[in-house]
Amino acid sequence: MDAPAQVAATQVTTLPQIRPRRSLLALLFPYFLVAPTLILIFVFTIWPTTQTVVGSLYKPPLTVRQQEQFVGLQNYVDLFDSTRTTRPDISAVFTKILINTLIFTVSTVLVSVPLAFVFALLLNRRLRYLGIWRFSLFYPALLPLIGAASIWSFIYADNIGLANTVLRSFGLSTVQWLNIQSMSLLSVIIVIIWKQTGYYMIFYLAGLQSIPRDIYEAADLDGANIWQQTRFITLPLLRRTTLFIMVVAFTAGFQMVEQLEALGLGGPNDSSNLLLYYVFQKFSDPRNWGYVNAITVILLLILMLFTVTNFYFFEWRRIKDES
Amino acid sequence: MSRKFSLADAVIVILALIWLIPLVFTLLMSIRPENEPITNGNIFFGSMLTLNNYAQTWMVAPWPKHYINSLIFVFGTLAVQVVTITMSGYAFARMKFAGRNLLLFLILLQLMIPTGVLIVQNFATIRRLGLFDTHVALMIPYWGSAFGTLLMRQAFREVPFELEEAARIDGANWLQVMRSVYIPLSIPTYVAFALVSISSHWNEFLWPFIVTRSDDVRPLTVGLSKLLKTTEVGALYGQLMAGTILVIAPLVILFMLFQRRFIESFASSGLK
Repeated sequence: MDAPAQVAATQVTTLPQIRPRRSLLALLFPYFLVAPTLILIFVFTIWPTTQTVVGSLYKPPLTVRQQEQFVGLQNYVDLFDSTRTTRPDISAVFTKILINTLIFTVSTVLVSVPLAFVFALLLNRRLRYLGIWRFSLFYPALLPLIGAASIWSFIYADNIGLANTVLRSFGLSTVQWLNIQSMSLLSVIIVIIWKQTGYYMIFYLAGLQSIPRDIYEAADLDGANIWQQTRFITLPLLRRTTLFIMVVAFTAGFQMVEQLEALGLGGPNDSSNLLLYYVFQKFSDPRNWGYVNAITVILLLILMLFTVTNFYFFEWRRIKDES
Repeated sequence: MSRKFSLADAVIVILALIWLIPLVFTLLMSIRPENEPITNGNIFFGSMLTLNNYAQTWMVAPWPKHYINSLIFVFGTLAVQVVTITMSGYAFARMKFAGRNLLLFLILLQLMIPTGVLIVQNFATIRRLGLFDTHVALMIPYWGSAFGTLLMRQAFREVPFELEEAARIDGANWLQVMRSVYIPLSIPTYVAFALVSISSHWNEFLWPFIVTRSDDVRPLTVGLSKLLKTTEVGALYGQLMAGTILVIAPLVILFMLFQRRFIESFASSGLK
């Protein structure tokens, strides 16, 4: 009886001494767990964002002795107004590249997302050798952009390229896929549609599999044909999936530029150039930094139209609901 | 159940074949003799099959180095990510603390501000930290992951809390609870995250290109871009296609082996 009583007594006496320490540690523990992620995201996402915005308001020094100079929104004005700019070379092409970027992104999304839906419908059936068809449609999504582009650089090659060889064999005239201004952007768009459609398809496949079979059985009994079922059952039920894929596709589209490294470097004459690639081409010269930062801010603002929508509709609401 | 060959079957077969053409011809080009470009009537195989293009490509770039660098990049990124997302995922899943929602919101800013477009300022940061041309420079922007944090938060919330309580009563500390309860029950989520992380970093080009200069650090994609530059001059497409195969083969083969896993992982990478 004595020993346990003693243990109990020491516990009682020691508890008040230990407790404040332990609870302070316990109090700080969650912050310790969160700290690595938070610090890294601060240093490589939040801080550079603020620096990009600040940097876009300055003109960089032109000589070593000069200070950088606060110019307000002048860099933005310069980008859009090529008549009064100090750097006509940049503002002459900026609008063109901005329009290229919009055409590139909108057309890849508007072709590849509906096509992805068709792919998913076709694959979501009893199908022999399903694995082969699914592999064929999805594998481009797993290639590096630069690898995919390298493959297409051969397809698009002027004389010995696959596309022109095929055209010739049908007696058709060949096409300069990458070397004329009217084709270069379209050629790049085709590559990205080929690459991305399979990726968007898997979201539709996941969506299709979540629709209960018996809805279609009921529709069958009512005599609805396959088109009516797709139009009035499948599409409406996948509306959220579609919205989600569109947002993902737009977000990805504005950032997809690595292919240009293998497909004409944005040329000829910037006819296929895209904003992020232009930033990449120009940023090594410090004299361009004001403009380069301003272009990055414009790109960020466009992107955030989509990411913030996505975040608000798909993530934050759910997180709020849960906690 | 027997069914007849339908129109939809024909369409999917045709589409799949069209989508396969680039891969098939990449392979064919890589095993054709270099001096025999494809021509009308001689489109598939050349006069002989040869691995000569691979041998040539192997001489042009230090591929073993690039392979090792890609592996270091991919697994170095993943290893640290697994630690950081496990920590933050648990905190947001199971702990109450002042400012929790604010801190979560700050982390989730990464979902709204794509780090990939911040190349200019992040390059400056890498310079300032003295990390230029190191392996760490490639990996460090990805070590903190909002996506991974959300994924683990979700997985850990689905673990019954009674299991943690039982372990605590047995005297387990936090690390032991993680090792014996949360991590084993969340393996599918870790696998999904790992597949997405590995494939996206294996394929990355722009950032590695910017923050490295020497072949001792540069991954495969950057090696391929160098090959592209040399190919433009002489149009040595056989070699270029052989080099492309060297870069894409590991992931494509992994995907062939684990198709379902990959597809499920990528489908969850959207985070609906």
